[in-house]
Amino acid sequence: MTDWLLFSIALIVLPFLTVGTIRLLKARLQNRLGPPLLQPFYNFFKLLGKEEVVSNDASWLFRFCAVANLCLALFLALILPWLSFKPVFLIEDLFLAIYLLALLRFFSILQALDAGSPFGGFGASREATLSLLVEPAVVLSLAAVAVIARSTDLGDMFSFARPHTLHDLTVWSTAGAALFLASLAELSRMPVDDPTTHLELTMVHEAMVIESSGPNLALVELAYALRLVVMFGLAGQCFIHALFCVIHPQTSTLAIISLLVIFAMILITALVETVVVKLRWTRVPEYVAYAITMALLAAGGAIMGRMT
Amino acid sequence: MTLFSFSEAVALLAAILSVLMVGSGNLRTNLLAYALSTAAIALVAGLRAGILGESHLLLIALAMVVIKALWVPWFLSRILDRIKVYFDPGTVLAIPIAMHTGIVLMGISYLLAGRLPLPVDGDPVTGSTTASISLLFTGALFMLTRKTAVSQVVGFLTMENGIFLFALTMARGMPLIVEMGVLLDVLVAVMIAGLITFKIQKSFEHIDVTRLTDLRE
Repeated sequence: MTDWLLFSIALIVLPFLTVGTIRLLKARLQNRLGPPLLQPFYNFFKLLGKEEVVSNDASWLFRFCAVANLCLALFLALILPWLSFKPVFLIEDLFLAIYLLALLRFFSILQALDAGSPFGGFGASREATLSLLVEPAVVLSLAAVAVIARSTDLGDMFSFARPHTLHDLTVWSTAGAALFLASLAELSRMPVDDPTTHLELTMVHEAMVIESSGPNLALVELAYALRLVVMFGLAGQCFIHALFCVIHPQTSTLAIISLLVIFAMILITALVETVVVKLRWTRVPEYVAYAITMALLAAGGAIMGRMT
Repeated sequence: MTLFSFSEAVALLAAILSVLMVGSGNLRTNLLAYALSTAAIALVAGLRAGILGESHLLLIALAMVVIKALWVPWFLSRILDRIKVYFDPGTVLAIPIAMHTGIVLMGISYLLAGRLPLPVDGDPVTGSTTASISLLFTGALFMLTRKTAVSQVVGFLTMENGIFLFALTMARGMPLIVEMGVLLDVLVAVMIAGLITFKIQKSFEHIDVTRLTDLRE
């Protein structure tokens, strides 16, 4: 019961808190004062109260996609093990999660195309390219974890029950690194896309949501924040499992560590967005190659572990 | 998890870092990855010193950190500053493909490591044997797929790291005098290679080793 309560609170508070923390830390690192920590919450409620402007060319899909995206993101947050105290559901399958991720991207691309603005089209085509590049990394690293767990049930894969060996340490840490690198690209964070720019020609995510306004934009931003915290949490859980090969903390300590790991990733993201410049679009595959390398290492390690 | 399997994991980390080194065309990033990988190998040597109770390994680990992980990258990056070459466009294979080839080679070295005889009365050393053979392959791959003279030096040093790790795994390290001799050789080799790189840059105005077959400039 406490699990459910804690998880519900985390699900409500963490997504916008993560976005707010990234913005605040980034501002402080760049010697700016920055917005208040709770600014994403204020924005959300402000946007809900605003009037919505929809393009004349948009069909019913435009508003449907925003709602569908939020539902999918919530569903993903319920089945992906992104916190150690997440209660277990019945249908936590790995492949369901992967296809839900793909469906989420599909609906955001559809929404961008439906409004009929050229920027939406730009953003959608870039997002499609990016997801094509990133997907192997996500799928391979999760599949590697499934191989060492001998199950595709996410609850079994991310349970702290099995004995952990050297192979497991290698697989977990490389899979975690792959997921983190891939999530930076997938969530349109810094080395691939600049989330703060106002030049629509260079953007991926911001160009896709440029036609959304009012409550529609609020839903889109909530879905994005959920995706962000879930992907960071998932990568963080992989690192915690790698840590679990060395030390065996209590359940309550694990819960605190999983929150701390998400904060560490926020810190890394803020640092990266302060010191790194955005990659030219043609050089993005070179960055994604690193994520795929880590995923391939994880997959190789998992197969070697099965062979011996 | 014991101290021994921790040292195996660190050895694998060194191999992974050198595979990541192949993925960047930026020469400074290459040097950084080389330094980290060497420091990881020195850590393995230090841990083995504790496990096997052989104090001379500790001395070698310290010398490795000072000479190979700190001095060599510093010296080579100073050379880079003097010849003003910071990027290697690569040759034969595209850089990301070369990195993925490195992983395939790592898999092959795992298969090879399984066929090698284990050291007598030893613990299972598959991890560090895989890492050492993979370092050898990665160094060779790096030398084959790069153009600049500095990259050739870094690739050569990576191979040397692999040989050191192999000796450490299979024979519990060489005698102190041999290891010190090797370190001295590396020191001199890097100095000479740095000077020659500088000379090549001065006389040919490039350090592209694929064009050194031209007799006239």
